[in-house]
Amino acid sequence: MSIETPVDQPESPTNRPESTHRMKEWFSRDYVRKIIAIFIVLTIIIIPIAWLVIHFLELSGGPASSIMEELETTIFVFTLVSAPLMAITAAVLIYSLFGWGSIKSEDPPMQENPAIRTNAVAVIGWTAATSLLAAFLVIWGLVELATITADSYGSTPSSQQPNATKQIDVNVTGQQWVWSFEYPDQQKIQSDVLVVPINTPIYFNVTSKDVVHSFWVVEMGVKIDANPGAVTNTGFTANKLGTFNIRCAELCGLHHAYMETNVQVVTQDQFDSWVREQGGKRTA
Amino acid sequence: MSQTAVIHEQMAVPQPKQHGKPGGFLAHTNIFTGLIGGVVAAGVTYFIGDKLVPWGTQNADFSQVGLNALVFCTFVAWVIGFMAGIGAFAGPIRWALGHDLTHDDAEYMAGKGQGRMKYWKYTTDHKVVGIQYLVMALVLFGFGGFFAMLIRTELGATWREVFDPNFYNSLIGTHGIVMIIAMIIVVAGPLGNFIMPLMIGARDMAFPRLNALSFWLLFAAVPPLVLNLVMGGIRDGWTVYQPLGTQAPIGMIGYQVCIITFAFSTGIAGVNLITTIVTMRARGMTWARTPIFIIGTLAAAIMGLVWFPMFQYAQLLAASDKVIGTSFYIPQSGGSVWLYENLFWLLGHPEVYVIVVPATAGILELMVVFLRKPLFSYKMAVAGFAGVVGISAVVWVHHMYMTGFAPQAGYPFMLSTELISIPFGFLVLVMLGTLWRGKAWNRLPMMAVYAVIFDKIIGGITGVYLSDVPVDQYMHGSMFVVAHFHYMLMGAGLFAAMGVIVYWFPKMTGRMFDERIGKIGFWTAFLAFQVTFLSMFVAGLQGMPRRVLQFDNAFDISNWISTIGAYCIGIGMLIFLYAVITSWRNGKVAPSNPWGAKTLEWQTETPVPLENFPVLPVVTSDPYGYGIPDPYLKVEEELDQDDNETVGAR
Ligand code: HEM
Ligand SMILES: [Cu+2]
Ligand SMILES: [Cu+2]
Repeated sequence: MSIETPVDQPESPTNRPESTHRMKEWFSRDYVRKIIAIFIVLTIIIIPIAWLVIHFLELSGGPASSIMEELETTIFVFTLVSAPLMAITAAVLIYSLFGWGSIKSEDPPMQENPAIRTNAVAVIGWTAATSLLAAFLVIWGLVELATITADSYGSTPSSQQPNATKQIDVNVTGQQWVWSFEYPDQQKIQSDVLVVPINTPIYFNVTSKDVVHSFWVVEMGVKIDANPGAVTNTGFTANKLGTFNIRCAELCGLHHAYMETNVQVVTQDQFDSWVREQGGKRTA
Repeated sequence: MSQTAVIHEQMAVPQPKQHGKPGGFLAHTNIFTGLIGGVVAAGVTYFIGDKLVPWGTQNADFSQVGLNALVFCTFVAWVIGFMAGIGAFAGPIRWALGHDLTHDDAEYMAGKGQGRMKYWKYTTDHKVVGIQYLVMALVLFGFGGFFAMLIRTELGATWREVFDPNFYNSLIGTHGIVMIIAMIIVVAGPLGNFIMPLMIGARDMAFPRLNALSFWLLFAAVPPLVLNLVMGGIRDGWTVYQPLGTQAPIGMIGYQVCIITFAFSTGIAGVNLITTIVTMRARGMTWARTPIFIIGTLAAAIMGLVWFPMFQYAQLLAASDKVIGTSFYIPQSGGSVWLYENLFWLLGHPEVYVIVVPATAGILELMVVFLRKPLFSYKMAVAGFAGVVGISAVVWVHHMYMTGFAPQAGYPFMLSTELISIPFGFLVLVMLGTLWRGKAWNRLPMMAVYAVIFDKIIGGITGVYLSDVPVDQYMHGSMFVVAHFHYMLMGAGLFAAMGVIVYWFPKMTGRMFDERIGKIGFWTAFLAFQVTFLSMFVAGLQGMPRRVLQFDNAFDISNWISTIGAYCIGIGMLIFLYAVITSWRNGKVAPSNPWGAKTLEWQTETPVPLENFPVLPVVTSDPYGYGIPDPYLKVEEELDQDDNETVGAR
């Protein structure tokens, strides 16, 4: 078979030029430049999605706790980091269709494409880049997890000992298809909405009377399953006044869709008077 | 009838004695005798169980258990009766009677001289089994797709309940599990059976009778599942978490029997695929010359074989809780809901790759042909598949971050899950590298490649969010997850499956696929898919839980958009289906190698003769020798030496 030298590769293999020269030559190729240009444009287009995502996350009034704030940062950073990945893939797809002309090629290409079987630079570079990216995501995630665990439990993850002073315990019980809350230290008040004071760590003991439910305090960024026969824990410190959503995030039968309630974040004074009122009702 | 048969044209082997006509008992069985057998066995079991066994006399609770047991036995009887009726037990019985199969019997069982009837019988020919799987997958997609439309109708009608909540929950569960089964079989079934043996230059699968067994077990598994809708439904999603599943009506038993049976089917199919690939590749087809689709099929078969038993046991124990009152999963009596969840996800996660890996491998295979360019870094593709198979064994807990069963588990499983993105990235590089500097032939299968890579990137990136425990604390159980896995399963799985089926359509059916109509359907579905599921991401971000039929008004707009999109997907798929059916019935007759591909399956004639190849092919190189060798690149010796001749007489 006769080997035609491709147009953009003037040298023959015997007098292979130096690597720096080859790199320069590579970057000077028309298609490389165009792909890089498309890549940059796409990255610029994709990056604003990070703000859009945060916008959607905050539509219902959050974030209302430091956990949710940290979580939004993570989502934001992950979106930024994946933007170039998305862009480079899309750039190659677009150039393949319109630049190399796949879109208008009616006939099978005969022997006209280069037989690139592998390329050490691409393989090693890509592996290194994706590994670094994965390492970054993993480390970010591990640190983040330790932080939000501390925020949730008011403790270090290893000791599991609550260390906050003014902590309030709440026992959460899921039952087909209502949530109920009990305040063991506040005269065992029972309530079907969650009322919590602002800036106070709240610690939840979550369980279920029947099937698996999942206790999701949406704007606080907190979720934990309510299992029959076991107690699971989570917690948060609200930092925004207002009313937020609690939903069930695990299919639990007929009226799962309606298994929702609210969390009211109030000031310490309001909370105290609420406790007095509720507690009063109990003793009266 | 001759008492000897010529094998490999050289050696005469003494044959066992022929008893009666070729095929023996199997000459009288087909799907209809199977149905009769199944229905009769089920009916008799139900009758005897109902009338003669004193269920419900012991205590008040026992009556429910009694009904469950009765229904369980009835479904099991259906499966056994069906298999008996179609002749699945003929083999062992003949063996016990000492009536070994003769060559003529074997040929009869492979479908020789039976015309179209062979598709309705316990036929061992891998090409017949492949077609049977294809039709089965299409039927299941029909069911699942119809249910999807109903689900979206409910979600789009934000102002009212269209369905009873129990029925809605059953719809979700049935849609989910039907689609999962359909996706598991849609590539590995038709192509793993029809194309794979041809591609490796074999005359059939390693175990032709097990091949028929695996298909008909799948067939028998489906009616109990679909019948659940008239028996109270699977109201628990496709995951059927316990103990909710224990509360469920008897329809749940249908799900359990279906899974238990289907797991046998996949196990048998897995053994068959693995053995065939490992032992029956053509002379000269070393591992490095094995087409990548074969490697992908092997990877999927290994994962299915290893992990399906977990799912099977998860359901076996669940059935036992329901039927004989054990308490594996009932916390009040010492069981654990987390046991179920772990067993379930031990399969549940690898299964995603069982779906995506063969579809991806098929895509790689066809890219090469339409680009007339070698696969970029074959070794990296193999490493990618191997990495996915390996790591997928140790990531299942990422589905259980929020169960609270081990808060510390978040750390190691977040690590393992994010590591999967590295081998996954290998496959992306292989795809991009193969596209690099290539002008591709603009045909539907090739265009599917672009669609699939796009979806895969979106699915992959959103998957990274979900693998992060803190983020999953928000996303878990929300519509975001639903949108993410549809990008993987449908965007990267189903669209790839459509591409590869169109690619191998001429070989399988002997007809050319009508791309003019098919294209309209494909692109309608693809664009509508983006609309549907991108806006579902938005609902998830806003905090909409999954598996709900009524919700906060805040989610209305994105749900309306999703529903309109979903209807358009439905329309697109119907157009595509129309193209499949019309091309199959009266498309242009296909030449034996319409794409000019180099893999072996295209080198034999179409329609493929019973024995596949007149003489077994010998392979001298990998099938990727296309294009102008690049003077810069060091090409490995062995790949260099040949003149692209892959088929030769021995
Ligand atoms: C026409 C295209 C499809 C549409 C419009 C669609 C739509 C939906 C919807 C709305 C849900 C319910 C989400 C929820 O509330 O939890 C769902 C669930 C699901 N879908 Fe699809 N789907 C489609 C195709 C597929 C395909 C091809 C698969 C392939 C595997 C699939 C697999 C699933 C699974 C596993 C579930 C989860 C069921 C569960 O929650 O238990 N779907 N789908
Ligand atoms: Cu629920
Ligand atoms: Cu998973």
